[in-house]
Amino acid sequence: MIEGTRVRMSARKSAVASARPKQRPAPSRKPQEAAPALVEAAGEARVETRTLTALKHKHLLGMQGLTAEEIDLILDTARSFAEISTRTVKKVPTLRGKTIVNFFMEPSTRTRSSFEIAEKRLSADTLNFAPSQSSVVKGESLLDTARNLEAMAPDMIVIRHKSSGAPHFLARHCRSNIINAGDGWHEHPTQALLDAFTIRARKGRLKGLRVAIVGDLMHSRVLRSNIFLLKTMGADVVVCAPPTLTPVEMQSLGVGVTFRIEEALQGADVIMMLRIQRERQQGGAFPSTREYYNLFGLTVERARLAKPDVIIMHPGPMNRGVEIDSAVADGPYSVILEQVTNGVAVRMAVLYLLAGGTLGGIAD
Amino acid sequence: MAGLLIKGGRVIDPASKTDAVMDLWIDDGRIAERRPSGQGRAASPAGARVLDATGLWVCPGLVDMHVHLREPGQEHKETIETGTRAAAAGGFTSIACMPNTDPWNDGLSVTEYIVSEARRKGVVNVYPIGCVSKNGKGQELAEIGDMVRSGAVAVSDDGRPIGNSYLLRMALEYTKIFGVPVIDHCEDKSLSAAGVMNEGYISTMLGLKGIPAASEEVAVATDLAVAAMTQGRLHLAHLSTRGSLDKVRRAKADGIRVTCEATPHHLVLTDQAVADTDYDPNTKMNPPLRREQDRQALVEGLADGTIDAIASDHAPHHADEKLVEFDDAPFGVIGLETTVPLVLDRLVRGGALTPTRFVEVLSVNPAAILGIRKGTLKVGSDADVTLIDPDLERRVDVAQFQSKSRNSPFHGLTLRGWPVATLVGGRVVHELQPATIR
Repeated sequence: MIEGTRVRMSARKSAVASARPKQRPAPSRKPQEAAPALVEAAGEARVETRTLTALKHKHLLGMQGLTAEEIDLILDTARSFAEISTRTVKKVPTLRGKTIVNFFMEPSTRTRSSFEIAEKRLSADTLNFAPSQSSVVKGESLLDTARNLEAMAPDMIVIRHKSSGAPHFLARHCRSNIINAGDGWHEHPTQALLDAFTIRARKGRLKGLRVAIVGDLMHSRVLRSNIFLLKTMGADVVVCAPPTLTPVEMQSLGVGVTFRIEEALQGADVIMMLRIQRERQQGGAFPSTREYYNLFGLTVERARLAKPDVIIMHPGPMNRGVEIDSAVADGPYSVILEQVTNGVAVRMAVLYLLAGGTLGGIAD
Repeated sequence: MAGLLIKGGRVIDPASKTDAVMDLWIDDGRIAERRPSGQGRAASPAGARVLDATGLWVCPGLVDMHVHLREPGQEHKETIETGTRAAAAGGFTSIACMPNTDPWNDGLSVTEYIVSEARRKGVVNVYPIGCVSKNGKGQELAEIGDMVRSGAVAVSDDGRPIGNSYLLRMALEYTKIFGVPVIDHCEDKSLSAAGVMNEGYISTMLGLKGIPAASEEVAVATDLAVAAMTQGRLHLAHLSTRGSLDKVRRAKADGIRVTCEATPHHLVLTDQAVADTDYDPNTKMNPPLRREQDRQALVEGLADGTIDAIASDHAPHHADEKLVEFDDAPFGVIGLETTVPLVLDRLVRGGALTPTRFVEVLSVNPAAILGIRKGTLKVGSDADVTLIDPDLERRVDVAQFQSKSRNSPFHGLTLRGWPVATLVGGRVVHELQPATIR
C-alpha cells in the first residue's frame, strides 16, 4: 500500500466532500460483511432484508469507493427496471420533467445510445451533445462548455471524455449530478455494473466466482471499474495481457496477473475480453495483430480451459480475429448481446437512484 | 541611509559558524557590526531604526536558485516585478531565473533586458540563468560568454533536458572559462513520453499515463558520466527519486563535481496527492510527485548532504491554463511564498533538518553554487537578511499571494514557521506585520 504524505487540503476537499467518501477504500479491502444476502438468487427476498434503499451519492464518478451494499442496491434496482423493457409500452414517468445532457466528447455508439434509451424510458428530456457539432471545435474549454450547459439548468450530465478525471473536474465545478460514462483509462462504472448484472443474472452471485479479464489492460477503463466492483463483491479476478499492456503494480489492486492466457482461463466462471486498439501496435506494444491473436486471442480451444458453464463477455466494440475468434463471440457461451440489453436497465437504475429514487418506490 | 539595528534575534550564520542571540547593525547596505546581545556599542547611529527580533531567527538572505519569472513574453503568468515581490514575501533576497522565457534567454539582449528590468522594478536581487544552447533547442551552444558578461550566473535549457551527451560535454567544458555551472533537468523523454504523473500504483489506479522514475535516473546516470569525463561543474535540478540520489551520492564520493537540488513539493507531497485531490492539476508537475519512499530518500539526502539546496521551481501558470482536464494542464506549481513555511513546518519542526542546515540549503549553498557573494551575515557583507518567526502559525491563502499566479497545491494548509521580514541591501522589502519595525 502506498503511504502518501497526506496534506490537509481542506478548501479543495470540501468541494467534493459531498460527492465522495473522504477516504478512498483500498480496492483490495474485504467487501462489507453487512451486505445482505449477496449470493441469494431470488431477488424479492433480498429486497426485504436490505437496509439500504437509497443511494447517498450525488455523482457516479467511479466504482471505487462504492460499498457492496450500494452496488447491490443498484443491481437490484436494475432488476426492477429490466422488466419495463419487456413491456409493449416501454416507458415510465419516473424522471418526467428532468433534463439530462449526454455530453460525449469521445466517439461512442453503445454507451451513448444505451443512456439515451434509458433516459427516454424514464421519461426524461435528453440532449445529446458531441464535439463535432459543438463549440468545443471552436476551442472552448471543457469548463466553459459545461458552464454553458449548466446555464440551461439540466439535472444531470452524463459525460464521456478522453481524459481521466474529467468527470471529477466537472463534479467540482457543476451543480448537476455527474455520471461518468467513461473517462480516459480510468473508469467506466456503468459498464462494470451492467457486467455485474449480467453475471449475476447468469450465475446468481458474484462472490467467489473466478473472473478472467484478458486484453489491453493498460488503456482500459472497463478493466479498472470491473476490478473495483468485482473485488468489492468478493470475486476472484485474474488479468492477462502482454507485459507491454499491463500497468505497473496491477497486483496491488488485489488481482492475479499472468502473461499466459491459458493460465488465466483455467477454471474461469467468467471470461471478459477487452478490446485491442489497433493503434497500440504503432505504439510498439506488440509486433502485429497476428502475433497478438496467436498469443492472447480467445479461441474455442482456449475457452475449453474454463469451467463448462463459463460465460464469455466483451464490452465492445469487438475486433474479431484480433482478441476474439468469431466462433467464440457468436457461440453458445457468449453473453455479449445480453450485456447490451442489460445496459439499459442498469443505466435506468443509476439515473433513478441518483435522482433520489428509492428501491421499492419505483412508479409505473 | 540611516542605520538599522536588528536587536536580540537568534543569528544563524553557518558561514561564520554562528548560532547565537546577537545584535546586528546595518549601515550603508552592509552588515556594519554584530555582537552578542546586550553588549551593544555605546550609542546606536543617529536616527537609526530598531527592529526587535526577540524570538526570531536572523538568517542570511535566502536564495532560490530555480525560479521562473516568465518575463519577457509570458507576463500574464508572472512578471519580474510580481515575481520578485513574491520572493520577498517568501523570505528570498536573491533568486535565479530560468531562461525559458519568450524569447528564450539565449543571448545578451534578453539577459540584459532581465537585468535592467530587475534593477528598475525588482525588489530582490535577480540573477539570470542563460541557455546552454541557442533557443534552448539542444543543438549548438548559445553565446554563453556574452550572457555571463551581462550578468548570467549559470546556464541551463531549463525544462528541456540536455539530451545530447555531446552538447552536454561541450557545455561542461566550455563553461570552465567562466566558472558557471551547467544546470540540467534530467529526463529521458522517450521513457516519460506523454506521462502526466509518477508511474506506480496511483497512476494505475487513476488511469493516468505514468512517468517512471527511470526516466530521471537514466539521464542522471548519463550526466554524471559526462561530468566525470569533463570535470565540469554540473548541477542537477529538482531530483525526485531515490535512485537519482543514490547515483549522486556515489558520484560525490568519487569526486565528481556535481551538486543538486530538491523542491519543497517533492519533499512534502507524494503521488497520493493526485488521488486525494481528485485529479487537481495543481498536483501536476515535472518531475512528478513520487512515492513515499522517494520522498523519504529526499529528506535523508537533504540531511546527509547529498542534496545541496532546496529550490522552489516556482512555475507560475494562469488560472485558466490550470483550470482544465488533468491531461491538458501545464506542468508546474508556484513555490516562492510557501517554500520557507513548508520546510520549517514539515522538516525543521520534526527534526529532519537543523536550523543551521536549513540556512545552508536555502542560502549558503545555493549562493555558493551560483557563485554569488551572498549567504552570510559576516561583517562587511551585503545586508540581505531574512527574519523568521519559527512559532508563527498561518494558513496558506493563495488569494494573499504577491505572485500573479495561484497554482499552489498547498492552499488552505496551516503551517508553523514563517518569514516575517525581508531585507535586501539593508532595505526592508517585505514585512508581514508592519508594526515590527519601530
